[in-house]
Amino acid sequence: MELRVIEKEDTMLAIEIAGEDHTFMNVLKGALLETDGVDAATYDMNPEQSGGQTDPVLTIKTEENVDALDALEAGTQRVIDKSESLQAAYDAA
Amino acid sequence: MMVPVRCFTCGSVVGKHWEEFKARAREGDEDPDAVLNELGVERHCCRRMLVSHEDLVDVVSPYQ
Amino acid sequence: MTEDYEVEFVEREEREARFVVRGITPAFANGIRRAMIADVPTFSVDTVRVVENSSVMFDEQISLRLGLVPLTTPVDEFEIGDEVTLSIDVSGPNTAYSGDIVTSDDLVQPADDNVPIIELKDDQRLEAEADAVLDRGREHAKHQGGVAVGYRHLQRVEVVGDKEEFAKEEPEILRGVIEDDGELVATETFDNDLTNRYPGKEVEVHDIPNAFVFHVETDGSFSVDELVTAAIDSLHGRATELKEAVQL
Repeated sequence: MELRVIEKEDTMLAIEIAGEDHTFMNVLKGALLETDGVDAATYDMNPEQSGGQTDPVLTIKTEENVDALDALEAGTQRVIDKSESLQAAYDAA
Repeated sequence: MMVPVRCFTCGSVVGKHWEEFKARAREGDEDPDAVLNELGVERHCCRRMLVSHEDLVDVVSPYQ
Repeated sequence: MTEDYEVEFVEREEREARFVVRGITPAFANGIRRAMIADVPTFSVDTVRVVENSSVMFDEQISLRLGLVPLTTPVDEFEIGDEVTLSIDVSGPNTAYSGDIVTSDDLVQPADDNVPIIELKDDQRLEAEADAVLDRGREHAKHQGGVAVGYRHLQRVEVVGDKEEFAKEEPEILRGVIEDDGELVATETFDNDLTNRYPGKEVEVHDIPNAFVFHVETDGSFSVDELVTAAIDSLHGRATELKEAVQL
């Protein structure tokens, strides 16, 4: 997983996450939107045939006093929590 | 020629059911519908793989 | 804040299962589904060295058939790209089955041993050596561990009244799993037709938000439990990796 920051302001972050696809990006985006302090989160990905950039670019906008990188960290933590609690629920069933 | 190993559409392994299906529904006189249900071949994509298959090895082998 | 999920099985077998997950977002449900199909690796024959093939099929056709035979894949024992050597040697008149495949590693074996590979006539023989490689479904469909993996909304059927006296008797077809008074009922039990279960009643069907019925089937490479666990693990692993990368 290689990261490349494209644009970074205090409350805004655009980052390319190489090697990922919709499977993970959509889960991450969904988790980010549920995270406190996140105003907007989306990702953009082009098909291979487009010839352009194909790795997903994640864009996050946050509320004023929240750093976008911290929000991303919180979002990933949320995915981790979700998967752990789903695993626990599955094992319990 | 030989029965496909997997269903073209969904990828479920249908080859393992062929011999039993052939013995019971083709050479035997059981109802193919009932045999397929019993074998657990439920989806119609997988069912057509067996229903429409024809062994051709015997037809082709003289020309080897 | 952690989510509270609730998992309940509708049917459960080694290779096929249906279970309801409550409290799961559509994005997460789809992530799990996609991970089960494309991200959980299985072993599959990738290279074949043919020693002798006098059967009626070409080497390439035999190789394709060998590639499609599911091989048991122990979880966490191997890494992607690992290879295991297999061999097959059958002389006619006989049929070569997947069960005739001899493996160099007992952990990796044909999941079913009665898949016909090729029927051999007198004097025909198949001898080949094959390398099975561990890879993901997104590289090639033969590496897919999950077959026909999908989900639907759990649905709630509500009786809103009686049908009019001369109302048309039309079937109301519904597929999936419905919830009736907290009880999960697969629609097959009433032949997928609501009028069989609620004769003469006017019913309304609603999707229950964030409750999904997963249907998971494996090709035999591993059990349903292993597949689901591996899929959740794969998302977990990627989130952990990203978190660590961000923290630097």
